[in-house]
Amino acid sequence: MRSLNNLDLLVVGGGPAGLSGALEAARSGLSVLLVDEAVSTGGQLIKQTHKFFGNEGFFASVRGYEIADRLNEELNSFENARILTEHSVIAIYPDGVPVVDMKRDTTEVLMPKKILLASGASEKFLQFENNDLPGVYGAGAVQTLMNQFGILPGTNVLMIGSGNIGLIVSYQLMQAGAEVKAIIEASDKIGGYQVHADKVKRLGIPVNLRHTISRAIGKDSVKGAVVSELDERWRPIPGTEREFVVDTICIAVGLSPSIELAAQAGCVIEYIQELGGYVPLRNDDMRTSIPDLFVAGDVSGIEEATTAMIEGRIAGLTIVEDLTGRCDQERLNYLKETLRKFRSGPSSSKTRSGIRKLGGKVEEASFSERIECDFDSYKGKLRPIIECFEPIPCNPCETSCPVGAIRVGENINSIPTIDYSRCTGCSICATKCPGLAIFMFRENKDGTSSIGIPYEFLPLPVKGQYVSALGRNGEVICTAEVERVARSPNKTNLVYIIVPSEVAQGVRNIFVPSQEAETIVCRCEEVTVDQIRKAIKDGYKDFEELRRYLRISMGPCGGRTCRLNTLMILSRETGVPVEELAPGIFRPPSMPVSFKAIAETGVDDSEE
Amino acid sequence: MIVKSRYKVVVIGGGVIGTAVAFYLAKNGVSDVVVLEKDYLSSGSTGRCGGGIRQQWSERMNVRLAMRSVEHFKRFESEVGFDIEYFQGGYLLLAYTEEEVLLFERNTKMQQEENLDVELLSKNEASSKFSFIDMSGVRAAAYCSSDGHANPHLTTFAYARAAERMGVEILTHTSAENIITEDGRIVAVQTSKGKIETEVVVNAAGGYSHEVGAMAGVELPTESYRHQIFVTEPLEHIMDPLVISFENNFYIRQTKAGNFIMGQGDKDELPGHNVTPTWKFLREMTEKMPKFFPFLRDVRVLRHWAGLYNMSPDAQPIIDRAVDIDNFYYAIGFSGHGFMLAPAVGEAVAEWIVHGEPRSVDISNLSLNRFQEGFTIEKNVV
Repeated sequence: MRSLNNLDLLVVGGGPAGLSGALEAARSGLSVLLVDEAVSTGGQLIKQTHKFFGNEGFFASVRGYEIADRLNEELNSFENARILTEHSVIAIYPDGVPVVDMKRDTTEVLMPKKILLASGASEKFLQFENNDLPGVYGAGAVQTLMNQFGILPGTNVLMIGSGNIGLIVSYQLMQAGAEVKAIIEASDKIGGYQVHADKVKRLGIPVNLRHTISRAIGKDSVKGAVVSELDERWRPIPGTEREFVVDTICIAVGLSPSIELAAQAGCVIEYIQELGGYVPLRNDDMRTSIPDLFVAGDVSGIEEATTAMIEGRIAGLTIVEDLTGRCDQERLNYLKETLRKFRSGPSSSKTRSGIRKLGGKVEEASFSERIECDFDSYKGKLRPIIECFEPIPCNPCETSCPVGAIRVGENINSIPTIDYSRCTGCSICATKCPGLAIFMFRENKDGTSSIGIPYEFLPLPVKGQYVSALGRNGEVICTAEVERVARSPNKTNLVYIIVPSEVAQGVRNIFVPSQEAETIVCRCEEVTVDQIRKAIKDGYKDFEELRRYLRISMGPCGGRTCRLNTLMILSRETGVPVEELAPGIFRPPSMPVSFKAIAETGVDDSEE
Repeated sequence: MIVKSRYKVVVIGGGVIGTAVAFYLAKNGVSDVVVLEKDYLSSGSTGRCGGGIRQQWSERMNVRLAMRSVEHFKRFESEVGFDIEYFQGGYLLLAYTEEEVLLFERNTKMQQEENLDVELLSKNEASSKFSFIDMSGVRAAAYCSSDGHANPHLTTFAYARAAERMGVEILTHTSAENIITEDGRIVAVQTSKGKIETEVVVNAAGGYSHEVGAMAGVELPTESYRHQIFVTEPLEHIMDPLVISFENNFYIRQTKAGNFIMGQGDKDELPGHNVTPTWKFLREMTEKMPKFFPFLRDVRVLRHWAGLYNMSPDAQPIIDRAVDIDNFYYAIGFSGHGFMLAPAVGEAVAEWIVHGEPRSVDISNLSLNRFQEGFTIEKNVV
């Protein structure tokens, strides 16, 4: 056992807050050790495949895992900083801080001058019958499996909780190929940002408000879930039970600060519901009641990664000042000011209230409401539609616009306005918007409109392909031809589709029929994409020929599900637009009917 | 629009007869052939038929023609290169009246002379062999185990694709609009996509044979009648033979996929091209069929449609060459049993065009001039 007595700063936890604090200290020459339990640092960032909100100085519009890469890379560039992964701080004693090497099962005792606790949060769990069945996951576990290790936890998922995590993980599950059957929310409104909610709604995921899960079904693993409606006193209403056939139940009902080390070290703890539960008392500099112990990130109150990074930097700079007697005051003030602005919007009201209870100073600031833009005066011009109606702290649309046409303004929580006379239609804003709330639009001369839809799914459709145009709730509005696909380096590609102008303002998503060879198109007769493609190549270039050759739509459904999909494949393979293809014959009866049912018809058909 | 404006042979009709003629033309060395189909392949009577293949006919020469077809069906996959779901499950003809019994006795005797494996079963023999049929009222049954059925769509596609491989052109969505003659010979066919000059035209237009004949100024004694048919959801295979009752006016068979296909004739039909299915048919069939096949009661009907029987005066095909226009052939008037004869007819017509006479089978009894004398109407049809 050896001890490191010359250590200036021990950072516990390598998430956004810990990495940021360590960076500030390392940059000023302090010796820094960062300890993390995971195999790599980055914390929750490495599981985040979505673009971050916030302000561009703090990685807004950059995807979470990329932020982790950048922070890790920067910290690794300092010789005076060291990262220990797969290590865990097990206690903070007055006479030493033991760190366990989880791989070797050995312990090292440190005597750091300062400690920054950035231990994050743990997921809240929910009590319901059978919640111990395999297949019940926390959202963090689902993200770890899926986004970090590439393992899909299940194919049909029920999401419990409509906070940002529930919404984001639902979206990511769909991206990964799972089917999210519904999002269940006990409250009467969606918890997360509206733009996140809009994203999942247009995938067709229903959000059931005032509902809760009462039971998981299954013996050895989850086979389903029973969901009930809640009355005004949050009690399940008998008779409203509904069953979902799912193999995965994902719980995203919030986080609790991981304060164990802080509390054990002797920090004053308070229960502040708005901040997620028990939190250490701390001041604006993120100093706890123990002067050498600082906190930052979710451990100091559940918020999100951008504020965690700012808090980490504030703590880091304060520690530098403590140990060296000076620090970049201008920068420190700027960070505090940014944090204040960030929290001044309506979406941070809970955080503000919690921080006030801690004795901190945070004010609500005025932000600009939506200003009607002169969209209709620029018909025929390719231009963005910004569907961002909720004041949230985010401004990449403003900072990415090369001509300054989009303005969020002084308060980052304000709603963007656009000056269409300056807009050049470059579409950068649409690829940058973390909420995927910006769509490109142009009225064409032939009565159609082109819509550019931010699309983060694979496979990408190709020019000329037919897709289904979906509405804001994922409902099919019409079929649409892909006009072009604008690939973006940040992977938010824009798929431009052509739709009739009358329906264009209702179209906000696309469904790309799978072109995977083995995918079944006709479920009744089990005909695959590959069989259809091969048949088309063999000369069957008419829906009816394909039907007669492959038995497509000869099953009980009569082609309800496969006719259009077959026509879309036919269109794609032959280059003939769907509307120019013959749709084939529609034969009675429209649903299978038994001999008995017809023979016993009550009407006397001898009368004319 | 058309790649080529001249073909040696123009076949009008992309059903099983037209594509079979094209296939055998190419096999006999003439591949400069175009098949004109106004809609898509098998869109007419072929694609709407029951798919039965029977040899039990009342006229000796028709038995021979049908037996020649079965020879082809048996080796179809190796000859044409396509699995057409051909299945020799037999044909079971149920006799309910004394008149039918006498007719079946006479027919089976003649058919046996032609070496057809047909037998007359007593009611008990039939009952024990086919227990899924309610044999109430049955007096006897004629059964031929080498009869069977196949998938008409696949058969048409098989001929078409094989013909294409040998150089034949198949133009779907292309209709013949006029046949141009000069000095008693056809010189060209006007199509919806342009004019095609040609030396030979084959009328294989099924339900529209009369109209196509008229284009060349030839009056053909055919007219079309709607016949309805429906298909059920698939069940496990239980029914080998196609079962017919002339007296009770039905036929039924089970497809390879397990669906039951069945239909009946309607004496009240008027000639025309109406192929709209009717409730009356569905109602009558669903009432009638479970009496004979009780298991059908709970089976569900999936699709219901109608096609045309192109009827000739004696309910037998007309395969001939026009007397006045000697480069105009027709294979028409199949009266509801063209699919089963397609291989032998396609072969015979092709031989006639290429070699000047049909070689494989005698079809002289199917000439048009038979109607100038007395003729017997085939009664064994539904």
